[in-house]
Amino acid sequence: MNRTLLTGLIITAVIMAFSFLGQYFAPHDLSDQVAVNFAVDEKGQGTLTVPPVSPNTTYPFGTDKAGYDLMAKLIAGSKYTIIVTLVIAFARVFIGGIVGLLLGYFGTEKKPHAKPLPIWNMLNGIPMFIIVWMIMIGISMNPVASPLYLTIILAIVMTIVGIPSVASTVKDKTMVIKEKQFIISARSIGAGSVTIIRTHIFPHIKESFVIIFVQEIVLILGVLGQLAIFNVFVGGTTMYFDPLEYVSRTNEWTGLIGQARNYLFIHQWILLIPLAAYIIFIFGFHLISVGLETIYKEKYSKVSHI
Amino acid sequence: MPKLLQVSLFVPGILLFVLLFAMIPAVLQADPFGGDIQFQWSRGFSSIGEYVEGIWSGQSFRFLAGLNELSFWEQIGDSLKVTSFYMLIGAVMGMTLGVLIGVYFAVSRAEWFKRILELTGALPDFIIVIVLQFLIVIIAMKTGLVIAKVGSFSNDEPAILLPLLSTLIIPANYMCRNVALHMKHTFTEDYINFAKSRGLRKGYIIFCHALPNVLPYIKADLHKFMGILFGNLFIFEYLYNLHGITMMVFTNAFGREGYQYSLVVNGIITFLLLYAIVYMLLRLIILGWEKVLAR
Repeated sequence: MNRTLLTGLIITAVIMAFSFLGQYFAPHDLSDQVAVNFAVDEKGQGTLTVPPVSPNTTYPFGTDKAGYDLMAKLIAGSKYTIIVTLVIAFARVFIGGIVGLLLGYFGTEKKPHAKPLPIWNMLNGIPMFIIVWMIMIGISMNPVASPLYLTIILAIVMTIVGIPSVASTVKDKTMVIKEKQFIISARSIGAGSVTIIRTHIFPHIKESFVIIFVQEIVLILGVLGQLAIFNVFVGGTTMYFDPLEYVSRTNEWTGLIGQARNYLFIHQWILLIPLAAYIIFIFGFHLISVGLETIYKEKYSKVSHI
Repeated sequence: MPKLLQVSLFVPGILLFVLLFAMIPAVLQADPFGGDIQFQWSRGFSSIGEYVEGIWSGQSFRFLAGLNELSFWEQIGDSLKVTSFYMLIGAVMGMTLGVLIGVYFAVSRAEWFKRILELTGALPDFIIVIVLQFLIVIIAMKTGLVIAKVGSFSNDEPAILLPLLSTLIIPANYMCRNVALHMKHTFTEDYINFAKSRGLRKGYIIFCHALPNVLPYIKADLHKFMGILFGNLFIFEYLYNLHGITMMVFTNAFGREGYQYSLVVNGIITFLLLYAIVYMLLRLIILGWEKVLAR
């Protein structure tokens, strides 16, 4: 295990622990609200407390505009962020992996000169978040359905959209291994297709599966963030009119970032703290993926001549 | 499928796809009482019908911006100018820089720099935009010096520096990592060893033996590169408040009278046209490189 991998694992483990145990240690919970308050001390000097409260000892992360503790919000939202990304990534790799293995094993090698239809190439160029946005925008503004229901729908949509890329990666890798000698010899002594896939091909790409899984997590977090910039939050968006305001229903991290997008010049901690948490989370998974890649590279790759 | 059929099906195929794709928000609606998801196919197909009818009457090329009814043709010129400016620069400069830095990375041993590049590459585009904006704000708060505008506040004084930076950084970063990866892989091939043993110069081997063999990968990855470039466009036009095509479509897609199907269709078609033009341009540039690098 190298240092990069270890750092990544520690970062993600700490964040997950914070997310699932944090509520027992956090100084405030979600319902605590700072009220507007005017206090006069002994010297006769008055202090006016108006939310948002900037980070201080009682509110380590400060509060938002309505006076709710940002730390409590982060803890509540992190469960959505973490579980949703892990579940989507797992579903993508699981389904996409099976589809890719089967396609790669049973598919025939492409002729070197047969170009794919240009339309499929073009579709590759459409960013994923646009597709998800188009699907979700009609149903996630001021929804009647529960946040959980909408989260599940988003997860399903994100999974389906992501399967093709995973499947094609796995398919390519399977195609390469299928040509190896040990597959031919396994077939010649009478091994069935399922056995070959399960015991001869899968063990060779199981490391790729782990890396794809971690990379998918990073990608999913990115897409969730992009959606949030365009006001589609995990679990639905509450839209207030006059002034127009979009608020996340679940306090999910990307939602917190998206709804605080305008705090660039003033009360910056409202944007900065969720943003920092989100960046660190992505870094954690990125480090894991880099660390794993280095391990496998040291094991298998050839040496550069230059 | 014969080639002729493929090409002749291409344009109608794309058009049909756009018509269906733009239909999604009209079709997928939540039940206003139960919250269940409903598929209102009739609504979707009637909007296609209205669009096709409206092409002749011109109604499909009018849209509502707030209370004003505007003509699509009058508005699209300015938006297209803004968008194509950034896209052309991002595509050409982004690719060139990316390839050059990628080549450098494949041979250099500046590990820390690679690490930083990889880390920023893992971050989604909007994070880079927000962090850039934050840097400007923080520097302005500490020193009172405003280096660049964090966004366009009016059409007359558009923000230039930051959008330009972000349109370069993100695609260039992707291209650079990609090129470095394939370059490194190419260096392990036997013909590189052979060229080296013949006593050829390092620079000659890199640019005339290795790079021509990496160019096909760049070509194959061009759509992914374009996807990143154009996906990034949505984000940064929105965050920097630039009045380009995507901004025009996004801000007006849900007007006073609900979803404006024809505007979204027109917007996407313009967008795809721009995509095709930029793609052709990049292919031309790569073709040029191939000619120059060929031995």
